[in-house]
Amino acid sequence: MNRKTWIAVMAVASMLALGLADAATAAERIIKIAGFGAKSGVVRSFGVNAEAVLRAATDDINNSGGVRLGDGSIGKFQVDFFDTRCNAEEGISIVRRLASADYLIAVGPTCSNVAEPVFGILQAKVGDSSDTGLQFPIFTDGAIKGGLAKISEWSFRNVPSEDAMYKALFVWLAEKHPDAKTVFGGVEEDFAHSRFTWYSVMKERSVQAKFEVVGEAKWLLNDTNFTTQVREMKKANADIVSISSHPFTTCGVLKEMARQRVKPRVALVGLTSSSSMETLNGCAAQAEGIIIPTSFAPTNAKAQRVAELTAKYGGSADLHSTAAWENVEIIRDVIVAEKVMAKPETVQQDRRRMRDGLAKLKSTAGLMGTIARTEDREAVKPFVYATAKEGAWVVLYDPAKASALRTTGETPALAFLPQR
Amino acid sequence: MDFYIGLLQIFGIHTLLGLSAYLLILTGQVSMAQAGFFAIGAYMAGICTAMWGWHIVPALALGGLLSGVLALLIGFPALRVKGMMLVIATLAFSEVVRLFFFNFNYTVLRDGIPIGPIGAEGFRRIRYFPENGWTTIEVSLFMGLIVLLVGGALWWADRSRLGAVVRAVGEDELAAQSVGINLTTIKVAAMTLGGVIAGIGGGLYAHMTTHVEHLNFGILLATFAIAYPILGGMGSVFGTLAAVVFVQGFLVEGLRFLGDWRNLLFGLLIMLAMNVRIKQLGDVRLRNLLRGLFGLRRRSHAGA
Amino acid sequence: MADFWLEVADITQSAMDGLLYGSTYALIGIGFTLIFGVMRKVNIAFGAASLAGTYASLVAFQVLHAPAIVVFAVSVIASGVLGYVVYLTCFRFIAASNELGSLLATIGMLLFLDEVTVVSTQGMPMPYPVLFSDTMLFFGPFSLRSDLLLVFVASVVCTGILLAVIYRTRLGLATRVVSQQPVAALLCGISVPRTNATTFVLSGFLGGVAGSFIASSVGLLSPLLLIPVTLKGLVVTVIGGLGSIPGAIVAGLLVGLLENVFLYFRGVTERDIYVMLLLFIFLAVRPRGLLGRLHA
Repeated sequence: MNRKTWIAVMAVASMLALGLADAATAAERIIKIAGFGAKSGVVRSFGVNAEAVLRAATDDINNSGGVRLGDGSIGKFQVDFFDTRCNAEEGISIVRRLASADYLIAVGPTCSNVAEPVFGILQAKVGDSSDTGLQFPIFTDGAIKGGLAKISEWSFRNVPSEDAMYKALFVWLAEKHPDAKTVFGGVEEDFAHSRFTWYSVMKERSVQAKFEVVGEAKWLLNDTNFTTQVREMKKANADIVSISSHPFTTCGVLKEMARQRVKPRVALVGLTSSSSMETLNGCAAQAEGIIIPTSFAPTNAKAQRVAELTAKYGGSADLHSTAAWENVEIIRDVIVAEKVMAKPETVQQDRRRMRDGLAKLKSTAGLMGTIARTEDREAVKPFVYATAKEGAWVVLYDPAKASALRTTGETPALAFLPQR
Repeated sequence: MDFYIGLLQIFGIHTLLGLSAYLLILTGQVSMAQAGFFAIGAYMAGICTAMWGWHIVPALALGGLLSGVLALLIGFPALRVKGMMLVIATLAFSEVVRLFFFNFNYTVLRDGIPIGPIGAEGFRRIRYFPENGWTTIEVSLFMGLIVLLVGGALWWADRSRLGAVVRAVGEDELAAQSVGINLTTIKVAAMTLGGVIAGIGGGLYAHMTTHVEHLNFGILLATFAIAYPILGGMGSVFGTLAAVVFVQGFLVEGLRFLGDWRNLLFGLLIMLAMNVRIKQLGDVRLRNLLRGLFGLRRRSHAGA
Repeated sequence: MADFWLEVADITQSAMDGLLYGSTYALIGIGFTLIFGVMRKVNIAFGAASLAGTYASLVAFQVLHAPAIVVFAVSVIASGVLGYVVYLTCFRFIAASNELGSLLATIGMLLFLDEVTVVSTQGMPMPYPVLFSDTMLFFGPFSLRSDLLLVFVASVVCTGILLAVIYRTRLGLATRVVSQQPVAALLCGISVPRTNATTFVLSGFLGGVAGSFIASSVGLLSPLLLIPVTLKGLVVTVIGGLGSIPGAIVAGLLVGLLENVFLYFRGVTERDIYVMLLLFIFLAVRPRGLLGRLHA
């Protein structure tokens, strides 16, 4: 085989595989929705969990009779899940592929750095004929970095508003511990989400709650040596330490804090994304007592059922993945309300109906209660404060049930996501 | 259809990246700096269109120019080292560029929204193409034209006397020097031109993805830049193009139906391709073994 | 004045922490440099194979609940085996003159081994046995992590053993002959492939030691460790002088120390820029590195 043959073999193999990939079957009355997220690298668990929830939710609806379409017939969901590898180009390719085929809507992605470019290639303003961006609705369940959905009117998100969560959390901490005065921050400086959450959310909200920010320590997302940063933390001796970083470095920092005997007097606050299995897996002992606001906890029968079903589909139900369940239910309701037809010839019309229907929503039902929807297509979700206790997450405080709890004075202790 | 046309854009961008490294490898320099030049081109071209309101063509030109100037500057010190040392030195350069953009903040207000690179949060709304009514096909044709120009020029140069000179430098520096070839000129020129090509590729990348951040331009990208020409066999520009199609078309998009195996096969197939390639297939024993396996007993030396 | 001395104490402490942490870089650097010394080629997959071996030892830790020393031993053996696998897949059947081929093959292996660990653990951080996590040694105002002291001792011991093997055994003699005069080695009846393979297994053992000590000092194993381990390993190898084992140790400690000093003065966002600039300076002013020989 000489060089030319080799080149030819590579070319033919590529074409064959590409052709195979797009052999879409357009069976009638199938509502095709796509999930996309990372199933490779350190963020693999996000994609695995999102896919599990997505499949569990659609199967659940299909088994209980499907969805009533615009002309009265019954449609069943079909889910295809695509791996983005957390890579911008793959995300773009996937969305182009979905828009070229007959998918009604996409749920995803899990990575904010994929959501940014993917929203960027959508049409910015609906009906703007001078904008050649794709006209395809995306309803994000995972990517949580603040303020993404404003990029395009075709992008929607059902992710918790970290701003609302930390605002409430710091106010709550101030009420509960009137003697607490100071906050020290820790931030994973090179990760867009963690960075945004510290500088634009945690820091501002703690100052508004009348705390004084006495310092901040910075590290990078694959750092392993935190001695210098934790020493700064120790010196500041703040009442509250607020760490905005993902599980790997959160665990690294917590371990170094244990080594240097640093323990904030009042509270240790963590990043929403760290209220997951990963943190418990990595450092359950050191994470003991960390407080994290989360938009998912199995506090009611339905939420418990979702957690069980998700486990059955091979994933774990956490604040990122369970949004997909809510998304599927919202999509079902919008299909009914907007009389979506799910016929091959109505694809583009259906997509527009989905978009308009989603944009119209002022509130939706969620697993933890009613979710408010904002003008810029974001969600404000109900949340609880979770804390790590003996290798599991337990609900520390539920703001929605605050008044009831105050009168009885008891703390609901409900374990979820136990250590595997 | 839109998907396939869009995929051509990815092919085009990666071909430019691969060609920029191809040019350098011809002169015997394995450079991991292409990711750095690519990043510079991406940010510069993005700044030109999204922040200064320029047309795409001068924006790409400025991005390529800036990358080229930087490549020229690092071309001279890079001459001091060879082989593995050069790989690591250029890798360090790419990391410095990435870390520079990690620390780089510069925004302007457009329609009341701050636009521009914001450190680790990246640079969003580089939407020149959709905002100006370019359809996917038009963007792909535009990129195809650039790839054609660059690839065509390289192909032509490769077959001319210049190509022979460049390859001579790559094969045997001492011999090249002894016939009066100026090594410094050839190597620095290749580095500069490589920088320009990678810079233009980066500019197109920023406009295709509409959002760039420092993590896009890490070691993995630098690795891909040199992987394309090596995988393509260094024979001509077509090898690089074929390798891009093989990696981006087959390994990345084509193997999706394999699920998790796609990710596992990615590295494995690259490794296997290096083992079962041209020179190795020239090995008589292996060739006979393969023939035996496929029942081909014809006597031929056409292969290899 | 008090402030000044406090500051000095802080810097000293940071520098000491960095120096100690640098011993993990040194261990990785030795592995890279050993392969380069013998084959004149770089094995980019070295860090990935070492970490994959350490991942394999998780089985001993999680399933068999073996004590730390057994877990470490499994890591060393598994990394040795993987070292051999990398040799077979990336060097054995690729012509010695085809340097680019081997380079790309090792990159392929790096991606493959990384993905295998990701798929088998879902990319989650995994706990790893920690050696005396709570023991800190205190000297006046300063404190030192005892587990990192152990890493330091281990890297010195490993170097000792390695140098003894290279300069005191027949195998070492063969290794040196192959690295300096491959053709002469062939003529003397020394099997070049076997010597090369042994080097890879040997460096794999070292990688296993490094991987388990790194995982233990972090307390976690995560795919996120791969890039820093590989990058720092290469930087340390170049600064120490390609092929120089003592050079790798000195460079590892130096990089660790300076990293923390840069961090202290310029913050984490600029820290790595200065590390890379340091590398440039070495390449420009002293391309053979700290202790490298001229022809390297």
